[in-house]
Amino acid sequence: MSNENREVILSIKHVDITFEVGHKKKLVAVKDANFDIYKGETFALVGESGSGKTTLGRAIMRINPCSAGEIEFEGKRISGKISKEEDRNVVRNIQMIFQDPAASLNERATIDYCVSEGLYNFHLYKDEAERVAKVDKALEDVGLLPEHKSRYPHEFSGGQRQRVGIARAMIMEPKFIVADEPISALDVSIRAQVLNLMNKLKVERNLTYLFIAHDLSVVRFIADRIAVIHHGEIVEIAESETLFEYPIHPYTIALLSTVPMPDPLVEKNRKHIVYDPSQLDQSGEAREMRELRPGHFVYCTSKEFADYEEKITKMEQERNEKAL
Amino acid sequence: MMEEKNVNSANNENDLFGFAAFDKYESEHIAAPQYSYWKSVWRTFIKNKFTVCVAIVMLILVGFSLIQPSISGYDPLIAPNVTDESMRFQQPSREHIFGTDNVGNEVFDVVWAGARNSIIISFVCTFINMVIGITVGAVWGFSKKMDKWMIEVYNVVSNVPFLLLAMILSYVMGAGMGTLIFVMCVTDWIFVAFFIRTQTMIIRDREYNLASKCLGTSTWTMIKNNILPYLISVIMTYIARMIPSLISYEVFLSYMGLGLGVTKASLGRMISIYTSYMNGYPHLFWIPVTVLAMLSISLYIVGQRLADAADPRTHM
Amino acid sequence: MSEEKKVIISAKDVEVKFRVRDKYLTAIRNVSLDLYEGETFAIVGESGSGKSVFTKTFTGMLESNGMISNGSVMFHGTDLTKLKKDKDWEGIRGAKIATIFQDPMTSLNPIRTIGFQITEVIEKHQKVSKTEAKKQAIEMMERVGIPDAANRFDEYPFQYSGGMRQRIVIAIALSCHPEILICDEPTTALDVTIQAQIIDLIRSLQKELGFTTLYITHDLGVVANVADRVGVMYGGQIIEYGTVEEIFFDPRHPYTWALLSSLPQIGEKGKDLYYITGTPPSLFNKIKGDAFAPRNEHALNIDFQEEPPFFQVSDTHFAKTWLLDPRAPKVEKPEEICDLHEKIQRMTDKGGAFYVE
Repeated sequence: MSNENREVILSIKHVDITFEVGHKKKLVAVKDANFDIYKGETFALVGESGSGKTTLGRAIMRINPCSAGEIEFEGKRISGKISKEEDRNVVRNIQMIFQDPAASLNERATIDYCVSEGLYNFHLYKDEAERVAKVDKALEDVGLLPEHKSRYPHEFSGGQRQRVGIARAMIMEPKFIVADEPISALDVSIRAQVLNLMNKLKVERNLTYLFIAHDLSVVRFIADRIAVIHHGEIVEIAESETLFEYPIHPYTIALLSTVPMPDPLVEKNRKHIVYDPSQLDQSGEAREMRELRPGHFVYCTSKEFADYEEKITKMEQERNEKAL
Repeated sequence: MMEEKNVNSANNENDLFGFAAFDKYESEHIAAPQYSYWKSVWRTFIKNKFTVCVAIVMLILVGFSLIQPSISGYDPLIAPNVTDESMRFQQPSREHIFGTDNVGNEVFDVVWAGARNSIIISFVCTFINMVIGITVGAVWGFSKKMDKWMIEVYNVVSNVPFLLLAMILSYVMGAGMGTLIFVMCVTDWIFVAFFIRTQTMIIRDREYNLASKCLGTSTWTMIKNNILPYLISVIMTYIARMIPSLISYEVFLSYMGLGLGVTKASLGRMISIYTSYMNGYPHLFWIPVTVLAMLSISLYIVGQRLADAADPRTHM
Repeated sequence: MSEEKKVIISAKDVEVKFRVRDKYLTAIRNVSLDLYEGETFAIVGESGSGKSVFTKTFTGMLESNGMISNGSVMFHGTDLTKLKKDKDWEGIRGAKIATIFQDPMTSLNPIRTIGFQITEVIEKHQKVSKTEAKKQAIEMMERVGIPDAANRFDEYPFQYSGGMRQRIVIAIALSCHPEILICDEPTTALDVTIQAQIIDLIRSLQKELGFTTLYITHDLGVVANVADRVGVMYGGQIIEYGTVEEIFFDPRHPYTWALLSSLPQIGEKGKDLYYITGTPPSLFNKIKGDAFAPRNEHALNIDFQEEPPFFQVSDTHFAKTWLLDPRAPKVEKPEEICDLHEKIQRMTDKGGAFYVE
């Protein structure tokens, strides 16, 4: 699929995010993140805890400031200082689904208020009747019932609460959703339902997702493109199938080797690969994103790039031979 | 797959092993009865018998203090029996429930009139302190800019010696109820504000507040709907401590002669006058002190129990 | 499992009750389980299924409001349910049966050095001299993969990373050569790459030291990797158990089907994942019949009335569902998990995908 003629909805341009820790010490959470997200796709950001994936997601929500670079939404800068009107525009169009539904809902407010909060803030209804209708519809869309409105969050199960969280975001009719590990806090039997729901809503409303996850197995199912982030650096970006078939960065390979497969025969012969950064090019040359194949980017030095090029060509040949 | 009913032996067995109806939405219903915060607070509060007893004692004491003085019409400037020697220093009896004092007044009337003023002053001061303190404290806790200079204000104000301030103000403004209320509010609110600021800062960055921010909720709405409802219990605890302590303050200031003027009945001044008759007529001292103690303790206990009941962790 | 396998610990009809606000709730409902020497048994279940509570009866670690109201746990001729005082447990808990918990920090003392904490256990259980204990401790640290163990001996837990801390917990647990190691979600709090390393470590140590492992987890992927046999828990009961191949390739209980087929690993892009509605049962309510019935689209009328017995599928495979009764209609397992092995092989065969070498 060629990416040139697809419409870019969100653009992260050489973004650095640093935090001050104590006296003049700086913690670099995200370093030189640079990628575009196209309209209508699900873009996954995968990394371990502390990799900076949540920080980057929150920078899009304007919770964390960028210390360098810019974030653009529909061609307009949304990072740094922007006017109040633009800020409201961002809030309406970009919404977030949080990881822990228990922590992200106001325990002292009814579901009616939780779901209506955005409507109140922007006065997105003509009269009370329209607001009620909108809330009922939003709850129905996520498989909840109108009778739930007078209930409080603690009365719900984890899966139901997460669906309230989704309803609250969807009622704003956003174009872009940042979903920060939306299923990792849920019981296993409930995860599938939430994933299906997110997919259904995406198709119905032509949404774009930034799906943040630590788990590649989930991402394979839901994402169109995947970026792998490690210690604040995005090391590889590719279409989902490409990343699973031709992973090239050693960290991606290590990460893939640890995805548990529900098959004892396969799993028992599995070798877990440990990522060893010392195997990378130590020449000190600055790394940058280089395009290895169309749409397949790797963060590397020129020497590494040559190695990767050789490796991927070999992989392709092997696959072709196998196919024959 | 669903309707694959195989041939089975007996009819009822056929029934038992038939597929049950399956409703996708069945599991979404919540069976538990509707939850209501204030109803649960009330239910938790009245569950403990001791609490209910103390609450009744408190209501009787407060009610009596507020109502009895208007029935007795006690006025500290008028002592109708002052000329009647026989009416002085009567021991408590059927006619004189709490006995009479040095000028022949019924101690019963004097005590309730004094208690009324103490209660009114402490309630009014608590209300003013809380309203100012909570408003300022919530904004203070939210705004990082405001925090920088408010901390300095706090350091200065909280170090002003209270007694000195009370003395100067009562000389400048003259003794009276207004002065007393002013004295007890002029610095106290900042402690409430500081307390609320710290509490606000603790819950300010919780995820549900981030979620509200992402939905475009304004700071004021967040204070109203996200912060204050979480602080009900700790605010209640604060009030439970503040009301009795302000009653004691009033008594103390009046005892020192800095409080209410001679035109108003006051427990503090009463105790200070009666102290001199301690040797011969101890009841004159012990009765007002006992009423004061019972009032303070019952108010404190009821407040604490209400605060406990207001904590949703105790609801079940 | 072959017949000669020796049973090391045997739980029979264990029932555990908790007293919560003047009410008794039953967390474990008549669970029986035999562990064989040297095997790895995995208990899979969601939160609230009772998997942790059940294994706590093996070490007498139930919370103070819980009690074993019925059944027995036989270990070397002793009924562990009869042991009450901490003194009775001496020589068993931590010595013969050791536990690794989810969060390593709960098992480590933050103000004591790592070295102290390991030697303390060795001295206590093996009655050896200080220098000997230190020697053993450093050996153990090297064994669990702590680089430069001698120098890191005197460091404190906060100076270790999460994965390293979990290695230390394993070192402590294994330092008195236990016969049974209970791993209670040992990797849930860790990152995926570290998780794999810890699993590999436990496996290689098991090969070397020959202990029996009881794994508790909610992650079927982990189960496939580590287990010889698997028990699936739901609503305070084991509802199906068998060898790992039987559970993955020939599951019989609808709940096991649901768990397997809702895994995103086997989902096909663009299609919905299989899912079950509702939530696991609350232990506050009395469970009648089959606990899974309200969420089961294949539920029979009898499921709501009578608890199913265990039906035998093979010598080693048992499932507690009325669907196995000869009178029950035939229900096929969901399409998603038919030919699971072929499906996953196709996925991994491609080469890169999930990287199988």
